Order: sequence, then C-alpha cells, then structure tokens
Amino acid sequence: MKPQRIRRWALTGGVIGALVLAGLGAPTARAAEPIRIGFGMALTGGLSANGKPALLAVQIWKDDVNKRGGLLGRPVELVYYDDQTNPATVPGIYTKLLDVDKVDLVISGYGTNLIAPLMPIAMERKLTIMGMFGLANNEKYQYPNYFQIQPAGPDPQTSTAIGFFELAAKQTPRPQTVAIVGADAEYPQNALVGARELIKKFGFKTVYDRTYPPSTVDYTPIVRAIKATNADIVFVASYPPDSVGMLRAAHEVGLQPKIFGGGMVGLQFTSVMTSMGPMLNGVVNYDFWAPEPTMLAFPGIKEFLKEYQARAEKAGVDPLGYYLPPYSYALVQVLGQAVEATKSLDQQKLADYLRATEFNTVVGKVKFGKNGEWAKGRTLMVQYQKVHGTGIDQFRGPGKKVVLYPEELKSGAIVYPYSAAKN
Amino acid sequence: MARSTRTLLVGLAVVGAGILLAALRVNPYVYFAGYVILQYVVIATAWNILGGYAGYVNFGTPAFFALGAYTAVFLIQSTRAPLPVLILAGGLVSGLLGLGIGYLTLRLRGVFFSIATLALSIVLQTMIINWEYVGGSRGLSVIRPSGPPFGSYVTFLFAVMVLLSVVAVTVARFIERSWVGRGLAALRDNEEAAECMGVPTLRLKLFATTVSGVLLGVAGAPFPYYVTFVEPTSAFNLDYAVNALAMPMIGGTTSWVGPVIGAVLLGTAQQLATVTISSEMNLFIVGVVLVAFVVLAPEGIVGLVRRVRGR
Repeated sequence: MKPQRIRRWALTGGVIGALVLAGLGAPTARAAEPIRIGFGMALTGGLSANGKPALLAVQIWKDDVNKRGGLLGRPVELVYYDDQTNPATVPGIYTKLLDVDKVDLVISGYGTNLIAPLMPIAMERKLTIMGMFGLANNEKYQYPNYFQIQPAGPDPQTSTAIGFFELAAKQTPRPQTVAIVGADAEYPQNALVGARELIKKFGFKTVYDRTYPPSTVDYTPIVRAIKATNADIVFVASYPPDSVGMLRAAHEVGLQPKIFGGGMVGLQFTSVMTSMGPMLNGVVNYDFWAPEPTMLAFPGIKEFLKEYQARAEKAGVDPLGYYLPPYSYALVQVLGQAVEATKSLDQQKLADYLRATEFNTVVGKVKFGKNGEWAKGRTLMVQYQKVHGTGIDQFRGPGKKVVLYPEELKSGAIVYPYSAAKN
Repeated sequence: MARSTRTLLVGLAVVGAGILLAALRVNPYVYFAGYVILQYVVIATAWNILGGYAGYVNFGTPAFFALGAYTAVFLIQSTRAPLPVLILAGGLVSGLLGLGIGYLTLRLRGVFFSIATLALSIVLQTMIINWEYVGGSRGLSVIRPSGPPFGSYVTFLFAVMVLLSVVAVTVARFIERSWVGRGLAALRDNEEAAECMGVPTLRLKLFATTVSGVLLGVAGAPFPYYVTFVEPTSAFNLDYAVNALAMPMIGGTTSWVGPVIGAVLLGTAQQLATVTISSEMNLFIVGVVLVAFVVLAPEGIVGLVRRVRGR
C-alpha cells in the first residue's frame, strides 16, 4: 500500500474506533451517587420566554431539595438540553437523556407540542412522565403513567372559557349576544371549540364567530366587524402577538362590550403587562396565578417567589414569574414527594403513588385524575383593575389582577360592564 | 460497465453496513442522531441536483420535505399504509410539485426563481394549517406500528434511511456522470448558449426539478414516524431550507460527494451542539461556517481538496 493510503485508512480506523469507544465508554461514566432528572426545555425559539423561567423554577427546586439533604439521601442533579421549541428535536434529546446520560427520572419540556413527541418514547419504555403545560396530550394515548401540572382539569377544551361564560351568565342585566374570535393555531382552535359548547350550554346567542391567520398584523378590521355586531360578550382566543394587537385595536376602535377577554395568552406575561398598562383595565381573562391573598395562602409560595424574583433579575428572565414558574416548581415538587414517599425510583411504583395521592404544593392541593390531568380544573378568571401607567412594581402586589373565579379563590368583585372599569 | 458494477457494490456494502449497525443494537441514541444526519444527506443531495448541477437555487426545500411528510400523514390517517408505500407516495407527490416548479423556470430565473420557491413554502404551509384532516394548525400525533424489525421503530427507520441515502447518492452520481449532468452544467453556465448548442434545456430542467422533488419527498415521508407528532411549524421549518443550501455549499456543489460531506459534517456538528452547547450557538455555527466557505472556499471542501491535490 502507498503510505498515503495507509494514512487514510489509519485515519478512518481511528475515527471509527473513537466513535465505538465513545459509545461503549458512556455507560461506565455513569455516576452512582446523584439522582438525575432529565428534560428538554425551550431555551430558544418561540416558547423560550416561558421556557427559561420554567427552567429557573426547576433549578430553584433542585437547590431547595439539595439544601435539605437531597432525595433519599442522594443529591439531585439536572440534565437538560435546549429543544429549540422544535418538536423534531425531542426524540433525539430524550434518547440521549435515557441511554447516554442514564437519567433516573424525566419530566417534559414546556408546551403541548413539545410533550406530544415524548409520549411514545415514554410509553415504549414504560416511564412515569410529568407534563408541563400540555393541553389534552394524553387524550389519544390514555397512557396511565402521564401526569400534567396545568390545572386545566378533566375537560381541557372548555377549561379556558368556562369561568368566563359562568361569570357572564351571572351578571345583571344578563348579556345576550356573543362574538367569538381566535387565531388559526393550535390553542385558540381548541379554546373556540370549548367556547361554542359553553355558549350553547348557557343559552347565549352567537352573532360573530370567525378566525384569523396567525400572521395578521392589523386587527382593526376584525375589531370593527365585531363592533358592528354590537355583541354583549366578546371572547378572544389568541396568542401573545395577536392578544396585544386585539387589545390595541379594541381601544382604537372603541369597542364597548359588556365583558371582554377570555382566552388571551400573553396578557399574563410581565413584559406584556408593563407595555399595555391601563389598556388592560376591565379585561376579564384566564390566568393560572395572581399575587392575590387567596393564592398566596399556599405553603411555600412566598419563599419560592422571593427566591425566583431575586434570581430572575440576574438570569434576565421574566422578573415576576407569576404565570408558569409556580407550576413548574410544583411539578418537580410532586415528583420529589413521590420519590420520598415510595423510597424508590421505580417508574411503576412512582406512577401508582402519583395516581393515588393528593399533593400539597406551592400552587395548592394537586390531585391527578382522568388522563393524568388535574382531577378538578382550576383555571382562574381574573380582571385587571386600577392599572395606572406602565410601572412593574404595581403588579407585584394584590388588587391589579383580581381573581373572580373559581369561587373558593375569589379575591374581589367584578367591575361590570367593561366600560365602567376601562378608565 | 465495470465502473457501474463497482458503484453498485459500494452502495450495497453501505446498505449492508447500515443494516448490520441496526442489527447490533448499540446505544439507541446512535440511531436517533444517525437518522437525522442521514435525512440531511438525502435532503442535501436532492437539493444539489437542482441547486448545484443546474444552478437553480431552491429555497422551498421545506415545502417538498413537508409535502412528503404530510402525504405520509394523510395515508397513515386514511389507510394506515405501510412505510414503503408512504415513501413512494411521498416521493410521487413531491415529484409532481417539482415538475410544476420546473415549468416555472420558463419564466423565472435566478433570484426570482428562488423567491418563488420561498413563497411556495408559505402557500403550502397555509394550506396545511387549514386542512383539519391532517391535524391543521394543531398538529397530529401519529402512533407507530407495533412489532418493528430490529426491536425498535427508530432503529428500523435508521436502516431505511441508510438505504434511501444510498439511493439518493447513486441517483445524483448517475446524473452527474451522464449526458444529463453535462447538459445541466451547460445550462448552469449559460442557458441561452446551451439552448443554441442543442441542449434540451426545458426537458433537463423539468427532469432536475422532478428528481430533486421526489428525493426531498422521500426524505420527508418517514418523518411522521420519527417524531410521532407532526405540526406545520416544525415540518415547514426554515432550518431545512438553510441546511439544504449550506450543506452542499460547504461540501462542494459540483460533485455528488460534496453534499454528502457537507451533510455529515454539518449534521453531526449540529447534533453534537444540541446536546453540548446551547442551540443559539447551533445556528451560529451554520452561519459562520457558511460565510467562511463562501469567502474562503467557494467550491466547498471538494474544491479545496482538488486545489490542494492539483498543486
């Protein structure tokens, strides 16, 4: 053989050898000591504004647990990768976590679309899997070892709208006509299906029911069309960019329904609240957490938020952390409690315990029911009241996002009609 | 004759090695990462038939890829057709789209053709968003068939992807070495001159767009079973357009080895970056490498090697 060719073969052999060694070497690198929890998280891409705070919440839990001596006397370690908000990365990431990193437990990334590709992997390997804010992920699979922390409850489609329409039905004079509008996208479509069901149930009359493409930039024509119908109730199911667009357009056009809002994603986020300011006044919208006395009564939440807000500033993520972070913390809290109680990392034992037990968490009592959703839904309806200017500090305390629904967490009264609260 | 026999043998050897690797059942992560890299080998090779050989830059890769994937989703939903049928159907439908795009080249050239293909991707995505049967904007979970060969479905998909890559590369190599490749090279350099010299430019362009479309569709067809959840944003991801263009550029667009080298290098780097450093770096790597190659080695790695050897 020519020396050149020998060198080439040696190089190829070396590369293959290195790959094989890397493959073989990985399992032996496994440290016996820490309990490792693995997940992918949206740290870049469309959902990263929520993914980063969620990661911080999980990290805070890890530090809290390790301060108390870990789980089962072993320290907890997190292994996570960026899923880029792209479902196509999820199968690779979780296989890496399970087969190369050899994690003991897995939790999902943030959001419905990132949980969906994880389901078959979990089912194939019979894993216990904790879902972080997925809507109806388990309806098709009905996998018994899946548990989801968003308090949507057993009927996810109507969960966003139910509080909104129940409140509307209770007002005097009772509103009669409804306009519903939403984006052509995953969540808004689900929410609109639920809204239609509830409109029928409560006996309202639909006068407007349309969707718009997610790439819409000018919302005034839509709002003008809604205004022309003179609807008493306006239910909007939208993602952050269109929530902002709809709200601005409603103010420009002078939309004056009796009750306005419902399923607008984004208004809960600190960055949106501080940019919209007083325009939020009077909007009745779904939420999961608000700094109201009824929500602050749960054990550990104050300490968590104090720690979160201190660290969020440094990490440059959502400075208040009222929407997703408490639930992300609760998710791992539940998992940790299950590990402690069963004294085991056995997936089946953990699942059996998770299914049977009521947990005490920073977001209150959590009990899982059908399809691994909360046994009883607890999506809040809040109303923005007395927002002045765009300062962030006003949102830290109670009174700006008053909880109206459900009854047991109610922290104030609704201002009705919408126009009365507007200014 | 002897040459084509040798090509066939090498191809068969690669497929055999792939099947052997699948049968060995090494760490499953190898198959997951390997699948993605091989998928890019097919995509880059397919793109290069039109973009490299004929010089028509196609930004619509996601449209063809997603069309293959959604054809598969449609068939899974309606008939639960087996994987080979999905792949053939995906290739056929994307090939028809490619043929249609081929007729566009009658009126659109250069940058205008590229813009049209970009628009194609957006138009198709909007159509899929509004088609509820294949999941619409919400996306659709796909359940894999049970009892796959090699024990796990992704291992099986990996073996299938090895086969598809070999087929794609063989087709590209055949085109490059035949009169078709020479004709395409001629029209890449000067379409009018080629036409005057008797090169059937339209027929060749139609052939290139169709073959490129077929291979992109073929690459997309197994995608639903790989991710198990198909939704428009990830199926029509711009990453496919960027990578399909970057990989041949880095490897070298004039030869069939170029896209393969580019896909293996860039694909592996991206897979490693995803699980080591943050992915913001991931895209950054592609950008920097692409700019570096365009400036320093416009003919890619293949051109670079040729230059070094020629010295």
